[in-house]
Amino acid sequence: MARRQTRTRAPAGRRLLGVDVGGTFTDFLYWDGVALQLHKRLSTPDDPGRAILEGLAEQGWRPGEVVHGSTVSTNRLLTRSGARCALITTRGFRDTLLIGRQARPELYALHPVRPDPLIPDARRFEVDERVAADGSVLRALDEAEVSAALDRVERSGATALAICLLFSFVNPTHEQRIASLARERGLAVSVSHEVLPEHREYERMSTTVANAYVAPAMTRYLSGLEAGLRATDATTRLRVMRSNGGSMGAAEAGRDAVRTVLSGPAGGVVGARAAAEASGIGQVISFDMGGTSTDVSLCPGRLLERSDLQVGGLPIRTPAVDVHTMGAGGGSIATLDAGGALRVGPESAGADPGPAAYGRGNAPTLTDAHVVLGRLRPDRFLGGTMRLDVDAAERAVATLAGTFQGSLRRTAQAIIEVGNANMARALRVISVERGFDPADFTLVAFGGAGPLHACDLAVELGIPTVLIPATPGVLSAAGMLRAPVVKDAEQGMVLRVEPDAPGRDATLESTFKRLEEEARAGMRQDGYARSRIERSADLRYAGQSHELTVPLRSTSRAAIRGALAKSHTARFGYAYPDRPLEVVVARVKAIAPGASYAGSIATALQGDIAGEQRATVVWERPRRTQVLDRAGLKGPIAGPAILTQLDSTILVPPGWRARPHDSGNLIIRQEA
Amino acid sequence: MLLGPIGGCPMPSRQASIDPARLAVFESLATSIAEEMGATLRHAALSPNIKERADYSCAVFDAEGQLLAQAAHIPVHLGAMPASVSAVAGLAPWAPGDIAILNDPFLGGTHLPDVTMVSPVFRTSGRRRRLVGFVASRAHQADIGGMAPGSMPVAQELVQEGFIIPPVRLYRAGALVPETLTLFLRNVRTPEERQGDVDAQVAAQRVGERRLAALADRFGAGGSGRTGFQAAATALLDSGERAALAGMATIPAGTYRFEDFLDDDGTSDEPVPIRLRLTTSARGWELDFTGSAGQRPASINAVAAVTRSASYYVLRCLLPLGAPTNAGLFRPLRFILPERSVVNAAPPVAVAAGNVETSQRIVDVVWGAIMQALPGRIPAASAGTMNNLAAGGTDPRTGSAWAYYETSGGGLGGGPDGPGLSAVQSHMTNTLNTPAEALELAYPMRVLENSVRRRSGGRGRHRGGDGLVRRTEFLAASTVTLITDRRRLGPWGAAGGEAGKPGRNRLERATGTRRTLPGKTTIRVGAGDVIRVETPGGGGWGVAGSG
Repeated sequence: MARRQTRTRAPAGRRLLGVDVGGTFTDFLYWDGVALQLHKRLSTPDDPGRAILEGLAEQGWRPGEVVHGSTVSTNRLLTRSGARCALITTRGFRDTLLIGRQARPELYALHPVRPDPLIPDARRFEVDERVAADGSVLRALDEAEVSAALDRVERSGATALAICLLFSFVNPTHEQRIASLARERGLAVSVSHEVLPEHREYERMSTTVANAYVAPAMTRYLSGLEAGLRATDATTRLRVMRSNGGSMGAAEAGRDAVRTVLSGPAGGVVGARAAAEASGIGQVISFDMGGTSTDVSLCPGRLLERSDLQVGGLPIRTPAVDVHTMGAGGGSIATLDAGGALRVGPESAGADPGPAAYGRGNAPTLTDAHVVLGRLRPDRFLGGTMRLDVDAAERAVATLAGTFQGSLRRTAQAIIEVGNANMARALRVISVERGFDPADFTLVAFGGAGPLHACDLAVELGIPTVLIPATPGVLSAAGMLRAPVVKDAEQGMVLRVEPDAPGRDATLESTFKRLEEEARAGMRQDGYARSRIERSADLRYAGQSHELTVPLRSTSRAAIRGALAKSHTARFGYAYPDRPLEVVVARVKAIAPGASYAGSIATALQGDIAGEQRATVVWERPRRTQVLDRAGLKGPIAGPAILTQLDSTILVPPGWRARPHDSGNLIIRQEA
Repeated sequence: MLLGPIGGCPMPSRQASIDPARLAVFESLATSIAEEMGATLRHAALSPNIKERADYSCAVFDAEGQLLAQAAHIPVHLGAMPASVSAVAGLAPWAPGDIAILNDPFLGGTHLPDVTMVSPVFRTSGRRRRLVGFVASRAHQADIGGMAPGSMPVAQELVQEGFIIPPVRLYRAGALVPETLTLFLRNVRTPEERQGDVDAQVAAQRVGERRLAALADRFGAGGSGRTGFQAAATALLDSGERAALAGMATIPAGTYRFEDFLDDDGTSDEPVPIRLRLTTSARGWELDFTGSAGQRPASINAVAAVTRSASYYVLRCLLPLGAPTNAGLFRPLRFILPERSVVNAAPPVAVAAGNVETSQRIVDVVWGAIMQALPGRIPAASAGTMNNLAAGGTDPRTGSAWAYYETSGGGLGGGPDGPGLSAVQSHMTNTLNTPAEALELAYPMRVLENSVRRRSGGRGRHRGGDGLVRRTEFLAASTVTLITDRRRLGPWGAAGGEAGKPGRNRLERATGTRRTLPGKTTIRVGAGDVIRVETPGGGGWGVAGSG
């Protein structure tokens, strides 16, 4: 696919590559020290690294540092193709992995189903030990029993082992002993107090098991890729995008593979924020709409984090950018339901067969509706490399036209209206759940289909401004280039702070100190001598069962109380200054600035300009509409207009005005 | 979905009175209001029951009190929400900013911990003001007073279960009615937490009021035209009815009977029968519960709303995933509920276990009747009990009082599509368990075992799921209440499958003595004593070894 060069004002620097491997495409963004270059090629799902190495060879690029968004761990979980694992846990708890929190995924189902645990019955073993909530040992570990359990693990054919004992986050000695005996036998070991040193045994066990399941494959994959990169340049460093918007070294990413499950979406959010910041905009909703799903994240001037993820129906607790995935995309299929209402999704034509306009499917999709209305231009799709089949799109949409007095146009409009209503509903709920009003945000739309729907959604949500980044199709790769290097360390505990207690909490302070040393040491190991430290803690009022992660500047008890009161008030509208509180997790983050390159993608996108034309396009009614290549846009333009580029199509509806910004972004606002 | 595709191919009866896209957009916006209220409530609520277990529902109504949309996470609220507006009808005339509050199970509630709020919504244009609808929220508040912490005691009368709130105003024209709130907070154990939850519910109401007014503005509240708000509401209800009828059409017309039993009511050994005569036709279902037991001086009595909820739950399982919830959906159901019975309780009896235990048996009975119509197509019975365990005492570590409440899952019935799931919540509940680590940190208790109760699922071509075993050690003297069922008769099998094993409650004293406890009981335990709850397995489906 075509490669585009951009000019920047930057001085020469280190050669950097951001690369995001998706299901269909692998996206490259390369900073050669002077300019940014973009490349997109088909992925190689059997060995995702091959597309990277071949892409580099095709372009003749020799990056000194590669930041990589990888779906390897996610795919292993989704396709259940990880290592053969065993589990060792405390007596009485080997079924915890199966029982979980005892809830079924679907409330109203004739025959409820849930995913099987990653480790079957026969490979879950127990040892008779017990640590109490305060860390004291109620029943000591019996080494002979451990040895027998490990014999059984080996006989089961397992090559990876997860160890999760009760209260190991308070006192890890039993887990450590079992881990060291297991490693002596050559097993790949994941230990719960290292993976997730927090209370709630099921979530810790599930996360530890997921890590054991994917770590061997991830380690193999990354060392292969690293070797390939170093065959060209022995000094090339490989880093992997983490779910939390930072990046980590390849060795660590292999060991802590479960921390990369949201690697790609995190890159998109970081990229959206960076793009918006380049235009001086801080409060954004990132809206990444592709063919089968849409990732949405709220950024109120910062990245929001969450740690309660689900991958393939299994809970995984790991710090991640707060991204919500909706099952709506360009491939969402429209149907008429039994009650007579038009539905769009949740069924999707996916990548295969895809929308009818792609030539293989025949179900009417959102994409087909855009084609019927003339909004997606058949000759300019994907830079003209793929011609859309208008007849097929019309035939597909016509199957529903009966209920719209036979009007193809009205049917297509209706499909888009309903699709937008669904997405607006989801966006609104996501915002309110997090305590925000979407109208206070700028919508940053990207992905193949995001810029098609952005303005309509903005109207539904009362959002005044839409921003389309310069490269909406490779924004995740851009985010990877910018992601800071982050290492975190945490420690679960239950520390009570009484309402009137004075002074500093020495236990918390010494825990922070130890965690900081751990995080800094990790950074040094990766070659980052200097890093900034951020402390935070999960706090709650005694008696609550949910915590808030709160930044902590000091370990004085008054400061801890004040920090919780402030966050609690901001989040829930009230606080309890007179109640004792509990510190449940202490967290430390070491942060080093990511790859730095000056400036952003400049405005002058060059390339195959398809030229300007005028066409009749249906908005509320048919209008003569300007259709031009985005790269050809030099000044503001009033809607109706359609801007096409290699990786996306941007709609500027009537009543809206689009203005290219120096940063390369396109800013679209409703005209007063 | 039960049988065959319901959506997909056009049929003549499916014409909506308004444009199908306009209908879908209206439905989406109405549902969005309910969801936004729910998000606000959950966001602002204080107690874990609302925050973590999502034990709440929010709903939107038209001016006639017809349910337009509901965001329900708890099936037991399905049948109670539609009645919310009629429950407060006596408080009319309304003013903007009014909020009514209630929890009386005999006047629009379910059981006392479920606190409901209802507000009227007006649309103002110029000097004219017009009622366009109502919004309501219902949340399970963790304690509402009464004999025991958590307000779920083994009781005989409703007044023992907690503080009763008949429909009264909490806000009048936007101003708090302080007497209502003061009286309420003085009658509960944890007033600060209740205040937080009440504030959260009020916040949800206010969000719902604003958004419903905006929806009415957008669609035009004129009401008469083809495009007005009320026209869209009517079209939405009609579409709900068509969806329900399409689901019901998969069941052959006829009359089907089924009966099942609760083991006992906790005051005697006498089983409690629930009987149903289900008549199905193209026009809908009639559910006649005549012959069910009379109400008892115990807490197993279900109010009519709970019986409706259990029946609506079964209907929802027959519809496609994501089907909307509105009053139209429930129109084709007609109930015949005997007065003063366990399925239609009247004052003064207690009702808390009606909500959690009897509701499960009503579900079994409705499924059992449908199974007569569709032999071989319906799964066997699931655990059929929430295995309620409540405990409390004084924590020797802090010297303060503690109270704990837990429900446990069991086996699901096997069905034509495969074996039943093991150790999971079934039918009317889906609440999470308390992690052993969270529990030991918070209470003087220790979980010794949390395991699958192997081979407790009924045998069959597709086995029933297994129940679970939870052994809990008490580290200090405590009072323990168990409200459990299916301790005598296991969940039934279907299509030749065998019944699941009944559950069992055991007391293992620190002294070494062991004994089986009744299904419903309150006992004193000491330090080192262990309660072992074994929950029922699901029934098997099909003859074992037949394929």
